[in-house]
Amino acid sequence: MSAAPPDNDVLWARGIVKSHHGTPALRGVSLGVREGEMLAVTGPRGSGKSTLLGCLSAQLPVDEGEVWFHSAPVHTLGRAGREKLRRERFGYVGPEPHLVPELTARENVALPLLLAGAGHRAAHRAAGEWLERLDVADCAKLRPADLQQDRRQRIAVARALAAEPPVVFADDPTAPLHRDAREQVLRILASAARSHGLTLVLATHDPALARFADRTVHLVDGRIAPEPAAAVAAAGN
Amino acid sequence: MYYLGLARGYRALDLARWLLTATAAAVVAAFLLRTLGRALHGTGGDLERLLWCLPPLAAVAWFAAVTARAVPAQHPERITGLTAAGAGPTRIRLLVAGEIALACALGSAFTLLLFLILRNDIAGPALAPDIGMGVPLPAVAPVALLAVLPLVAGVSAACAIRLPERLPGRPAEPAVRRYGALRLLLPAPVLLAGLGLELYGLRPDATDAERTLALPGGLPATSPALLIGWGLTALALALWTGPLLALAGRLLALRSPAPLRLLAGRGLTAQARRLGAPLAVLTTVVALMLVAWRHWARTGTDVPALTLVEGTLVLACALAALAARLHELRADRRPALDALDRLGTPPGLLTGTAALRALAAGTVLLLTGGLTVLLCPLL
Repeated sequence: MSAAPPDNDVLWARGIVKSHHGTPALRGVSLGVREGEMLAVTGPRGSGKSTLLGCLSAQLPVDEGEVWFHSAPVHTLGRAGREKLRRERFGYVGPEPHLVPELTARENVALPLLLAGAGHRAAHRAAGEWLERLDVADCAKLRPADLQQDRRQRIAVARALAAEPPVVFADDPTAPLHRDAREQVLRILASAARSHGLTLVLATHDPALARFADRTVHLVDGRIAPEPAAAVAAAGN
Repeated sequence: MYYLGLARGYRALDLARWLLTATAAAVVAAFLLRTLGRALHGTGGDLERLLWCLPPLAAVAWFAAVTARAVPAQHPERITGLTAAGAGPTRIRLLVAGEIALACALGSAFTLLLFLILRNDIAGPALAPDIGMGVPLPAVAPVALLAVLPLVAGVSAACAIRLPERLPGRPAEPAVRRYGALRLLLPAPVLLAGLGLELYGLRPDATDAERTLALPGGLPATSPALLIGWGLTALALALWTGPLLALAGRLLALRSPAPLRLLAGRGLTAQARRLGAPLAVLTTVVALMLVAWRHWARTGTDVPALTLVEGTLVLACALAALAARLHELRADRRPALDALDRLGTPPGLLTGTAALRALAAGTVLLLTGGLTVLLCPLL
């Protein structure tokens, strides 16, 4: 049994090993995420960024190693425990919007709040405000199939932020967006994180976006590269 | 070779689907060959007997169409693989239809073999007229009759399958399509016409002489007005099944719903279009059976064996078509379910949603099915 993680880390991982049907994705990753910081995880395609975010955000059980959230173990939690953690503490945006197709944009954004037990009126009011912040208030009553991909992705970002969870995971959230929209959405994500004191873990292969972050971790072949700063600087130039 | 490779990769569900297609084809082929045997024997009433083969044939065609339609959603990897191998939409269509036609052909061939063996002086005198024993068999007749099944099933499968143009492995955002005004209003005149015909058939001065239509299966004779009237009524109710399901979904999600009601209601509304048809077919079949059953129970008639076999076949096809459609919808919903899971939706909530949706759909079907039975003046 190891010692509990340092107190100032909201998330703390040690020696995570994870493979998908025998294909190793993570081969021993250790990192800490401090409260309120914005951490970028960079690396090429297939370097294990999504798997790392999946393990940290309690979507995937780890094969080996430990994950702690606020001094509480995540790696020992069962399925129901991880679901509760995702519902109440974490927000998530993926590379695809993955909205619920039969719900309107506003209902999609209100869903995490409703699932967490908020009242209908409060949930819808909060959803409306977040849609406005992400410049998609005009789509509130439309369904995902009637919208363009970049608007759907903005709605997905609003959904992740609506419940104002302590930690937001963003796995390549700007993938479906055009270049000008990328910066804008990321800026909204970053400013929302700062103004609400949220912790943001961002996975991206785009070094230009990683500069929004306070700190960068570089993943290569499922391991943390020894000199992330140098790697990012090299990629940036 | 392709079908052999496919069959080696069959899972239990695929195997069950294949076996049901082959069995259904074998039974329909038996009906067709019996008609042929009777015709050879010369007992008369051939056209009527041939018409009696149509409902099971339609059931097999319906099942083939629904299963073929489900293939792209159930086996996206197969479509991706075929596309990567250079097969265009036409060829994929033909390959999927060919798989179903092959099952039908094998089922019919089995029955033909049995028919020929029985004709070889094995069958007793009781079966002799049914297989036309003692009369030489024109070679083309059984072949032509049996070619009908693979052809009908294959064509309906090929027409039903949908292959939108997009990159493989990238499903489109599922659209929620609404019913148009025409589709909502069309059943109303049909229902009125049906009810009018039924009232005409039941008018006080209607005589028994009008009841010129002899129904098979030990059912009493009826008049064309009554039969067509009831057919139109049943059609109108079947056409309204989908819109009523959508309405039930809307009612479920009324007035600031909690996640359970919201997901159940909106889900039902979104799926109403695709669930409506197989549910309506199943409800109509069950209603028809209840009507016949009521008559048999009231008059104490023994259920004719052939009618029982035919009824079972049609019911099995309708049930299997519904199962195939449900499976297809579930495969289509996978991304949405993954998204809900990612949000930490408890599985209990999703189960509750499914149960609530089934309850609402059941209520609608009870309404349409019940009305179909109640409005039946035949018996």
